[in-house]
Amino acid sequence: MKTVVDITLGGAAFHVDEEVCQHLQHYLLRLERLFAGEAGGAEIMADIESRMAELFRERLTRYRQVLLRHDLEAVMAILGSPEAISGGAVAGEEATHVLSRRFYRDPDRRLFGGVCAGLAARFSWSPLIFRIAFTAAAMAGGFGLALYLVLWLLLPEARTTAQKLEMHSTPVTIGTITAFVKNGVESVRKKINL
Amino acid sequence: MAAMNTENTKAQMRKGILEYCILGLLLRSSAYAVDIINELRKAEVIVVEGTLYPLLTRLKNAGLLSYRWEESPQGPPRKYYELTGPGRSYLAELDQAWEELVDSVQQIRAKK
Repeated sequence: MKTVVDITLGGAAFHVDEEVCQHLQHYLLRLERLFAGEAGGAEIMADIESRMAELFRERLTRYRQVLLRHDLEAVMAILGSPEAISGGAVAGEEATHVLSRRFYRDPDRRLFGGVCAGLAARFSWSPLIFRIAFTAAAMAGGFGLALYLVLWLLLPEARTTAQKLEMHSTPVTIGTITAFVKNGVESVRKKINL
Repeated sequence: MAAMNTENTKAQMRKGILEYCILGLLLRSSAYAVDIINELRKAEVIVVEGTLYPLLTRLKNAGLLSYRWEESPQGPPRKYYELTGPGRSYLAELDQAWEELVDSVQQIRAKK
């Protein structure tokens, strides 16, 4: 048995094997970096993502509904690696490092700033849990409200598909919790330095 | 080493004429990205699909191409690209430049 993650790509929904999701996320993130510097970057990514969705759909049948490693590999071979597309070397090592370490605000399920929805996505819990916790903490002396506002300020919004996948794809482990704390501390440090 | 250099040079040449090929192809009729890719693949001008999308967007942003959405028999609507007025005159200029290039190469080769 394997865990499956639900993702959206080019406006279509897919079930993806958890490991494949991480590779997909990595691939999209590297492509995003490739086009990040230009005016039409977002449009190029949207075109590539909808083509990817089309290729994925062609590979699925009624009886096989989960995207597996070989599906992703086949589609990546058709579209090409970032190196093949740019015709040169691409900085990508950093991207692997940053992966599954970031927390985001979730604009798709937000009530206010998307903080609770973002945290919930990260731990695969219901946003309701965080909403209740924050409300309780806010009523017991205002700490919850302050923390919420700080997180709203610190956490970036998940805008691109790669960021949304990143937000969703990590299970709860001690490692992810430590990463969260570290991430928070680093962001605070950066803001103070600025 | 020598083999690697030829590959590299060939890739550079292909890259140089890719834009010209896309515009030339769209002069015949408007086309969806995958149609364009299939033609370019057949002609061995392009290797991976991903190369095309940034080019189409750049050409569109430069006003040489425009697109319209069209329903597809399977799946979501597709972007059909076509040449704009400025795109046609740009292509005419490239046609001329291409002929000049071929001439130049032939001239140099004939002298040897």
